[in-house]
Amino acid sequence: MKNAMVMIQMKGITKTYHIGDMAVAVLKGVDLEVAPGEMVAIIGESGGGKSTLMNIIGFLDTPSSGSYWFEDQDASHLTDNQLAVIRNQKIGFVFQQFNLLPRLTALDNVCLPLVYRGVPHPQRREIAKQLLEQVGMGQRMTHHPPELSGGQQQRVAIARALAGKPALILADEPTGALDSQVSQEIMDLFKGLNSEQKITTILVTHDPNVGRQCQRTVRMADGRLSEV
Amino acid sequence: MMPFAELVREALRSQATAKQRTILALIGIVIGIGSVIALVTVGQMVQLTSLQQFEQMGTNIITIQKGWSDKGGQKSQARQNITYGDALDLAHQVPELQLIAPYTTTWGQPIFHEEPLDMPLLGVSPAFADINKLELTRGRFISALDGYSFLGVLGAGAADQLAKKGVNDPMGQTIFFKKQGIKIIGVLKRVEDGGMRPYEINPGIIIPIHTSFLFGTQRNVNEIMARLAPGAKRPQVFAAIQRFFNQRQPGMLIQIRSAEQLIAEMAKQSRLFTLLLGAIGSISLLVGGIGVMNVMLVAVTERRKEIGIRRALGAQKMDIEVQFLVESVTLCLVGGLIGMSLGVGTAYVLAQMNQWVFFVSGVALALGIGVSSAIGVFFGYFPARQAARLNPILALRDE
Ligand SMILES: Nc1ncnc2c1ncn2[C@@H]1O[C@H](COP(=O)(O)OP(=O)(O)O)[C@@H](O)[C@H]1O
Ligand SMILES: [Mg+2]
Repeated sequence: MKNAMVMIQMKGITKTYHIGDMAVAVLKGVDLEVAPGEMVAIIGESGGGKSTLMNIIGFLDTPSSGSYWFEDQDASHLTDNQLAVIRNQKIGFVFQQFNLLPRLTALDNVCLPLVYRGVPHPQRREIAKQLLEQVGMGQRMTHHPPELSGGQQQRVAIARALAGKPALILADEPTGALDSQVSQEIMDLFKGLNSEQKITTILVTHDPNVGRQCQRTVRMADGRLSEV
Repeated sequence: MMPFAELVREALRSQATAKQRTILALIGIVIGIGSVIALVTVGQMVQLTSLQQFEQMGTNIITIQKGWSDKGGQKSQARQNITYGDALDLAHQVPELQLIAPYTTTWGQPIFHEEPLDMPLLGVSPAFADINKLELTRGRFISALDGYSFLGVLGAGAADQLAKKGVNDPMGQTIFFKKQGIKIIGVLKRVEDGGMRPYEINPGIIIPIHTSFLFGTQRNVNEIMARLAPGAKRPQVFAAIQRFFNQRQPGMLIQIRSAEQLIAEMAKQSRLFTLLLGAIGSISLLVGGIGVMNVMLVAVTERRKEIGIRRALGAQKMDIEVQFLVESVTLCLVGGLIGMSLGVGTAYVLAQMNQWVFFVSGVALALGIGVSSAIGVFFGYFPARQAARLNPILALRDE
């Protein structure tokens, strides 16, 4: 099962939701391999199960069946706490709605993953500052999310995703709430991180323009993935 | 695991946006903790006050007064009084009474420089100073040789009254009572009120007991104060005293009070407060605690999204649970601290009203903090567990 050149190896992943007596199969056997440093776009119809798959890849959810190996490790049978640790240390999430905590400043938002890692206060501030500068938000560190534009909030969210030095960034429609010019700026940021820091990136998108900019695109249809 | 300082910072940040229901919950905690603190403090003050009374006058002092019938009083109408002669005989008949000090009280209006004064007259024998631990600032006390002479010793309060009239040295001055001039031969140091001591000592003029008979007390004494010999057995002595008075006047009712009995009475009084405050306290704490639980449950629902985000960033269930627990404990501690100041204030007022020694112990303060925290943990546990058990994916989907 082991393959050193593969970061993500999924075989026959299914996910079935039970609503009352009804079983809804959302994923019906997803096979996916992603190598370290790849940048993959997932496209597909709304409600097709893209977010469900992202949650499974990101250890927020577990599949109903199938095998999932992450960095040579069997990801099935992990405890809730082990999953939390992997999310904290390996994964950086970026969401369509940014999902920043409105009561916290940009700086404190970026610090959050480090808080759960037990990094001491002065150090995590230092790391967060550098990251905010890197995403071009150095001038807005003490602002609260409601005071920032959508594009600015997404930059802060990307800095937060980077705070834990993740192996993998999972971005679920990261430009879905942004206009096309800002979208392009955010895409440039992702592309830069991928090419310069070799951070493996998987992003879900509806925008063909965004998809075209990734090395590889896969389509989710009828609960399965196929290369495009 | 989130560091503790970070947790408290988070909790305070959430509290900063306190809402009306938060304030309502806090009021319950404030009243509850306030009552608990007042309750404990009152108990301790009463204990300390009793102790001080023991220390000041000793535990072996008793007072003997004529009693009043319980039965609505046909018998008590007889008004059988204790006389000076009774007191002298009693000392012989009951040898366990080591020292005996009967005294009289006479009310009236002494006149000084043509102006009326507000001072009671206490007729005493020399033993009175010993039993009541009186000290002089000036002059001498009443002696056995003073007999029927018109001499007086001023209590500290009485001396103050004269000082207000411009007499800074009362020694040798004459105060008139029923046309008789009483010459001042001494001034007493102020004594603590309360306990077994007659409260007339501070504001009064102390004169020889025989002299007081001339003012119409018919040789009746107000009370006999006595000191028991070391090792004397109280029940036997009390029975002997009762027997003595029954032989003297059949059916006579006698009331004997001891320091112990006094302390028991004070304890009874403080038990009343304890009961009252305990009832108010526990009800308020229950109401406040349920209020806190409600506040926390609402907070959990309102912040589902936040919980989902934190979980996505690597928070474990325990992190979320502890976060909300710290928040509810912080909430309760804020209420607890306000309540503690309220409780201390209440205790102060009660102490003033009842002449207890006011003090607040570290134990009471620790208890206040402890109980507030415990309420926070107890009523915060269920909401915090709810928060920890939220499915992070569903929580993230919230808008
Ligand atoms: N917790 C859940 N319970 C029941 N159905 C769900 C749940 N989560 C997602 N679904 C359903 O699964 C399907 C796929 O959803 P999703 O993965 O969000 O699709 P996409 O991201 O491609 O739009 C949808 O029909 C959605 O209603
Ligand atoms: Mg989706």
